[in-house]
Amino acid sequence: MSSDTHKSDTAVLEPPLIGGDPTFESITQDVSRIVERKPPKYWYPAFTVSLAGALMLFGLIGYLVWEGTGIWGLNNPVGWGWAIVNFVFWVGIGHAGTLISAILFLLRQRWRTSINRFAEAMTIFAVICALMFPTIHVGRMWVIHWTLPLPNQMSMWPNFRSPLLWDTFAVGTYFICSFLFWYVGLIPDLATLRERAVGRIRKFFYGIFSLGWRGGNRQWRHYEVAYLVLAGISTPLVLSVHSIVSTDFATSLLPGWHTTIFPPYFVAGAIFSGFAMVMTLSVIARQLYGLTHIITLKHLERMCIIMLVTGSMVGYAYATEFFIAWYSGNEYESFAFINRAFGPYAWAYWIMISCNVIVPQLFWFKKLRTTIWVMFIASILINVGMWFERFVIVMTLHRDYLPSAWDYYSPTIYDIGIFVGSFGLFFTLFLLFLRYMPMVAMSEVKGVLPQAEVHHKEASTVAAGEVP
Amino acid sequence: MSDKIKIEQQQYWRSLEARAAGGEVFDPVPDSAGHSSDNSWSRRSFLTLMGASMAMAGLASCRRPKERIIPYVQAPEEIVPGNPKQYATTMPFGNRSYGALVTTHEGRPTKIEGNPLHPSSLGAASAYMQASILDLYDPDRAGGVVHDGVDASWDYFVAHWKTLEEKFLANEGEGLAVLAEPFASPTLFRLKREFEKRFPRATWATWEPVSDENVVKGRKLASYTPSEDHRQVYRLDLAKVIVAVDSDFLLGEPESITMARGFASGRKVATENDEMNRLYVVESAHTVTGASADHRLRLKPSEIGPFLKALAVELKKQGLNLGDIPESHGFGEHSQSIAVMARDLMAAQGSAVILAGLHLSPEVHGLVALLNDVMAGEPIVRWVRGGSSSVADTSALGSFAADVSEGHIDTMVILSGNPVFDMPADVDFKRLLKNTRNTMHVSLHRNETAQECNWYLPKAHYLESWSDARAADSTYSVIQPTIEPLHGAKSEVELLSLMVSGTDKSSHEIVRDTFKWMMSSGDFEKSWQRVLHDGIVRLEPEGPGPRPNPNAAKSILENRVFARQVTEASNLEVIFTPSYSTYDGRFANNGWLQELPDPVTKLAWDNAALISPTTANEFDLVNGDIVTLALKGRSIEIPIWIVPGQADQTVILPLGYGRTQAGRVGSNVGVNTYELRTTDAMHFATGLSMTKTGRRRDDMANTQDHSSMEGRPIVREATLDEYKKHPEFAREMVEHPPLTSLWEEHDYSEGYQWGMAIDLNACIGCNACVVACQSENNIPVVGREQVQKGREMHWLRVDRYFNGEPENALMVHQPVACQHCENAPCEQVCPVAATVHDKEGLNTMVYNRCIGTRYCANNCPYKVRRFNFFNFTKDIPETTQMAQNPDVTVRSRGVMEKCTYCTQRINRARRDTKLAGAKLNDGDVVTACQQTCPTGAIVFGDINDPNSEVSKVKKRNRGYELLSELNVKPRTSFLAKIRNPNPELEES
Repeated sequence: MSSDTHKSDTAVLEPPLIGGDPTFESITQDVSRIVERKPPKYWYPAFTVSLAGALMLFGLIGYLVWEGTGIWGLNNPVGWGWAIVNFVFWVGIGHAGTLISAILFLLRQRWRTSINRFAEAMTIFAVICALMFPTIHVGRMWVIHWTLPLPNQMSMWPNFRSPLLWDTFAVGTYFICSFLFWYVGLIPDLATLRERAVGRIRKFFYGIFSLGWRGGNRQWRHYEVAYLVLAGISTPLVLSVHSIVSTDFATSLLPGWHTTIFPPYFVAGAIFSGFAMVMTLSVIARQLYGLTHIITLKHLERMCIIMLVTGSMVGYAYATEFFIAWYSGNEYESFAFINRAFGPYAWAYWIMISCNVIVPQLFWFKKLRTTIWVMFIASILINVGMWFERFVIVMTLHRDYLPSAWDYYSPTIYDIGIFVGSFGLFFTLFLLFLRYMPMVAMSEVKGVLPQAEVHHKEASTVAAGEVP
Repeated sequence: MSDKIKIEQQQYWRSLEARAAGGEVFDPVPDSAGHSSDNSWSRRSFLTLMGASMAMAGLASCRRPKERIIPYVQAPEEIVPGNPKQYATTMPFGNRSYGALVTTHEGRPTKIEGNPLHPSSLGAASAYMQASILDLYDPDRAGGVVHDGVDASWDYFVAHWKTLEEKFLANEGEGLAVLAEPFASPTLFRLKREFEKRFPRATWATWEPVSDENVVKGRKLASYTPSEDHRQVYRLDLAKVIVAVDSDFLLGEPESITMARGFASGRKVATENDEMNRLYVVESAHTVTGASADHRLRLKPSEIGPFLKALAVELKKQGLNLGDIPESHGFGEHSQSIAVMARDLMAAQGSAVILAGLHLSPEVHGLVALLNDVMAGEPIVRWVRGGSSSVADTSALGSFAADVSEGHIDTMVILSGNPVFDMPADVDFKRLLKNTRNTMHVSLHRNETAQECNWYLPKAHYLESWSDARAADSTYSVIQPTIEPLHGAKSEVELLSLMVSGTDKSSHEIVRDTFKWMMSSGDFEKSWQRVLHDGIVRLEPEGPGPRPNPNAAKSILENRVFARQVTEASNLEVIFTPSYSTYDGRFANNGWLQELPDPVTKLAWDNAALISPTTANEFDLVNGDIVTLALKGRSIEIPIWIVPGQADQTVILPLGYGRTQAGRVGSNVGVNTYELRTTDAMHFATGLSMTKTGRRRDDMANTQDHSSMEGRPIVREATLDEYKKHPEFAREMVEHPPLTSLWEEHDYSEGYQWGMAIDLNACIGCNACVVACQSENNIPVVGREQVQKGREMHWLRVDRYFNGEPENALMVHQPVACQHCENAPCEQVCPVAATVHDKEGLNTMVYNRCIGTRYCANNCPYKVRRFNFFNFTKDIPETTQMAQNPDVTVRSRGVMEKCTYCTQRINRARRDTKLAGAKLNDGDVVTACQQTCPTGAIVFGDINDPNSEVSKVKKRNRGYELLSELNVKPRTSFLAKIRNPNPELEES
């Protein structure tokens, strides 16, 4: 990597990032064999369940198209329900991948290499799930393309003042960039798999997708520049996507939505939930695939620290919302927040507070943030909390200006089924990824091995750091 | 032309071939009217035929009698397809009638409005009246004559009658009985007299579950000449002090349109210096009238009589001549207030009026008649002879029932009504019918009664038959059809005419005969044309009623209804009241009315036992809990609903629900409360017991979950005193920083700019506007389940809030539709620009462009946008589709909709004036809600024109815009509500 030469001094002081004293060979072996051998036994039931979920999702979407959005629990004040909650939730999940792959890359956080592939894949699948929701939630999804600025005989353009249009652009761009970034990163590893492939079919497909990569010096140079450029493009997206998603709410005039704190607060929340999801997935994957030496406790601990920081930012945002609601002296705004905490949806609010603000505080303690089961449960709770955060925000709709219009929203089995089904889709894609793609970026991990250092021999005498 | 047009299957419209072959004028009566059970004709064939026949015949109304008639209101030189026409007709309603103008599109009636010339409608129409057009097209009406469960025909019935007739002519009608509803029709009156002449020994009973029987009886008690029926006519616009004693005169009682109009004219203050009338309401239920009260006192039903006695005693103390009545009353706790009230009444003597509820006993009405005679006098309260109307007579029911059960009645003809459903439970009419060999029922639907009768004869709707009626003040009006009977139905007039004459005559002829009989002089044809055009003719009144006898007061007051009864707390009292939606059950199959939220409870698609918050606490009940109500050995199970401000220990039971044979809309909706009603307790009773069952209904459809304004300045209200001190109080109630807009604002220096103003002081919350909007704008009915989910589609809703303590809460109403914001928040957020501003300031909705993100609805601070969650219009039956307005798009699934300020009416007015080469004048565009508002609370027009009515109203100091602090600049503004409490009572 182009930055490797600059890393030497930190590398010297840092304990090795990858445990088990690996060699280039062993890394290739460890990662590639997951793809090359038959999948482990649990893969089949897991895939069956996920696929069933995904098929249920498609079935329910079919019914939705047939019957109309009335099958959901939506009503007059609450025009947006679980579909939008899920959209924001899944977009948020995606953020960790981009953050890990782009921002940590630019910040030269070399520990990212063990988890970035993983996280990027998660991003793409999460964004696929996310994009599905705004598409199916509209009343007439067969004309959803009217939201795109496509030339047409009516000379009708979309309304550029509408945050939903900004969403279309923001999330669309995000998906394209994340996908390219992920794919570019995959090319050297796909070439490795191509070289190792035994069957004709494997060879053919890995050959196609590795785009003729030979690992030549020139290719590496172009590759590194492309990767850097994409990292540069993706970095602002981490901030912009969720900021723009937040404008769906922030630019409205609804009390509880109309606040300027939303963009930073949404970004922090997105990173928070994204890391929680990466944590959940990587804890499972490292155990099941025997990658504990590559994805080490060190990596997990750092993710815990990021969750602690972003969780506290989110908690701070919750407090600020309340303060501003009181300080503004606006009765509608004050009511909206009192209603959040003590109204009909208070249960959801307190689930959110418990999961998002209280749970991450555990990570102040080294003991807890290095205990696998604690962080695993915490990561799940945080994702539950972050889902409820979006639920609480969307449900602000249920009581706005005129009390005559107030109502209560309850989900139907179709709301629940589609949400559960979106996890089915996500895990189906994820399990296929685990099955057919290198789940750890081999080329990048090799780059952070001590052997990759030009001063390897000297360094090895110094490094006697702990190996978890 | 007749070769080209070939219409198959048509049952109701005779073929055109016949005309070509036949001769000069069309024969309108279907040859085989009795066989019309098959209604499989398409809309297209209907329209084709209509267009063709219109062009060829060039006749006026749709049902084409042989006679030439030109019943146009705006007499056109020719008919232009696409241009709707209005015809004057009359809706009969018990022994009342309301003049209507019916809009027809190519011969298809689509909308009912009030006839401005008619004294009982004054251009407005109630919710019932407007919704009655759905009854016309009700698919459940389909079907012809049925004899013992087998399809028969009218001719077959006529033949059958002929055999019976011979028998009854021979025995003078022995064993023949007619059970009729009260009517105000001179034709029916004439036929009834002929019937009595022809069959002198026959019985004629009159039954209606909710009627003005007690009022008429009370008047007799107070009268020197107790033999005659009289009805009262009020001029509330002249009244300064009004006391309503358990009287829902603004909505729940006859003549409510004129009453509301008169009342509101005394409330529409232009400035703080104007005078206002004062309304005291003493009632058990919390009614719409109670919502408009300046002082409201809630009393149990048993306390209403004693209260009136106390008021009479106080009035006498203060010098009113009431003869020799007692000096004291037993009404301790409110004596102070009653004295003040009496003082207020005395001060306004000559323009003070007391109104008593229909359901109160005859004695109460007698006393009130006496009091009014001295307090108000003419013209505020005028008594006119009932003349050709008939009144329900419950007291005669007993002997009638006895006759039937003893088997004296061989043949019973039931003219309309639904006695099996709505007769008192102790009469057990269903069982009675079994004692009668021949039972015949003529009715709009094959209802509960028809199921039990040998003969069912489909009755023609008033929009498809000829008849006539006299208004409360004796004005004659004609009921003329606007369409051929859809199901070959016959009117009561035709049936009765067959019975009295033995010949099957057309109702047109019969009604003209009556008119001839009534017209003593003048050119008959000319007068007839006139009455067809105007809908009314002012005939000589049937004579004023005599003055009541003040000495009757003493004997009246001796009645036990004026004595206070001490009852135990567990002893509940009950009032049976017609529902605001289904009335006595006759509108149960009407989707618009079923879905119309009750103005007090906001419940749709259900009735409930209404109780006060305190009573609910005592019995540990919450909304929807099912209780068992037991009265005199009968019991029902019914969910309860809590109404703030209702009297404690009192249960209000709305009638008209729980029909079993109403049709696809109304069957098994709500609970039949008639099951508790008995002859000796027709209107109210004591001794009701209520027990909790532990079960509850959680599917009750309530359109407004939250009844408090949460202290927000939504409905702005002040007393007259406060208003005088702070004339700008409404605008001063909200403080906000200077408002500036992000967007460049539209330029409206030229052309029109539409706007609306709603006077909350005149709005009584009667829901007429909601139905007008529904009818005008093809708003779908979505059903209980969808309403319960909060998906009702009404573009215009009437919000109802309570304020004050729950026990003595005051109610306010506020109609809210799209406010047509200048800085519309919905327009900004739509990603596809489906909702945009037009150059006249309307916030328009482009259905074709809408993709249904619902973002606009979320961002609407008034929450007036309505989303088509399903394809709500898909299942509208073909006949019902005919009620739809062809000028308004029917919306499909997945699009948003909302109030358009009746943009189709604006466009029509613009087109009409453009063709005439003129400019739109103020008043040329009238929105549907504005048109039908009985109190004229809604004003619409061009706000660019400083002289328009709406501009002037908007400038009044009571004016304010809802949520104006959001800088959305709504085009609809409100005038704050002013109450006029008595300063003396305020202090105490």
